[in-house]
Amino acid sequence: MTASCAHPIPWATLVDYWAGDLDEAETAAVDEHLFGCGACTATSARVAVVTEAVRDVLPPVVTRARVERLRAGGVRVRENAFQPGARSDVDFTRDADLLIHRLEGLALADAARVDLRITSEATGDEISSFEGVPFDATAGTVLVACQRHYSALPHDTVMTVSIHAPSAPPRTARYTILHHWESP
Amino acid sequence: MEAPDGELVRRIAAGAEDAPAAEAELCRRFAPRIRLYGLRHLRDEDRARDLVQAVLLAVLQAARDGRIADPDRADRFMLGTSRNVARRMRDGDRRTTGDEGLDQLAAPAAHEPERVDLAALSRCLGTLDERGRRVVMLSFNDERRSEEIATLLAISAGNVRVLRHRAIAALRRCLDAGSGAPPNVETDA
Repeated sequence: MTASCAHPIPWATLVDYWAGDLDEAETAAVDEHLFGCGACTATSARVAVVTEAVRDVLPPVVTRARVERLRAGGVRVRENAFQPGARSDVDFTRDADLLIHRLEGLALADAARVDLRITSEATGDEISSFEGVPFDATAGTVLVACQRHYSALPHDTVMTVSIHAPSAPPRTARYTILHHWESP
Repeated sequence: MEAPDGELVRRIAAGAEDAPAAEAELCRRFAPRIRLYGLRHLRDEDRARDLVQAVLLAVLQAARDGRIADPDRADRFMLGTSRNVARRMRDGDRRTTGDEGLDQLAAPAAHEPERVDLAALSRCLGTLDERGRRVVMLSFNDERRSEEIATLLAISAGNVRVLRHRAIAALRRCLDAGSGAPPNVETDA
């Protein structure tokens, strides 16, 4: 095992390798180098920890099809409906793995793009924002996947949905959702 | 100074007194490499662990039997065996890991890979700029190639790659800072 490497594989190449963006010959060359090089194996492991964790991340906004796949896979999903302008409490109870906040009452028939911005009600600070999230134009809904590890984030959230349609100014709808977390 | 791989293989083949220690050392060196190969090519942590067990068993048996033709290139033998076993696993052959053989391992691969705290990862993803975050999520969550992402974001595939490796380096730094790990050595250049 080598403690160092005379010709280390560049970080960028390792990221491409884990992204599956190298061709067959390049991938084989990286495999060969890694088997002979402990130093590059260690670096590759540091890349992989991040990329493979990202693979497992459930996006904060999901499609109905993904919710149903999660349910079919045994995930305990609890779904709650919210109306624009309302201020609502929601409990993340021990018997749920995932909450789906169904943001209803949205006029999405002509929507070309929908964005979501989440802020803290108390401070107004932005928690996160997402452009081009999935939406259901027919049902007029956006599905927010509230995950247990979000308990580390502020619990008093204001979710602002911005609807962008051709030849029309953006429309917004706000939902205030106050989260209460039970330890698993 | 550590014994070279070839020296370990020769000790195992000779049935030397310290052959069990040589086997343990060979397992320690190669288990992480085989696991990463499995993770990359089988895309599943459990199957990657199965691969580690199956490959180490096969290679140690070959070493004991003196069937590793070039002991100094034991890494090539490990890679070749990994490729063959992974191919059989992808083809659905379940005969790759005989549980009965696992206790023959002088040192079962006790390597515990690093785990990521999802809450920390979410916070770190939130620190990326919008384009970097989208490229990372499209690459690894949606499994899209750089050319596809380039079309979606109206930038070049080369730009996608640059944004991606910089974003992964930023995530790595962010996770290290949160965990108190030593400073990283990656650059985002």
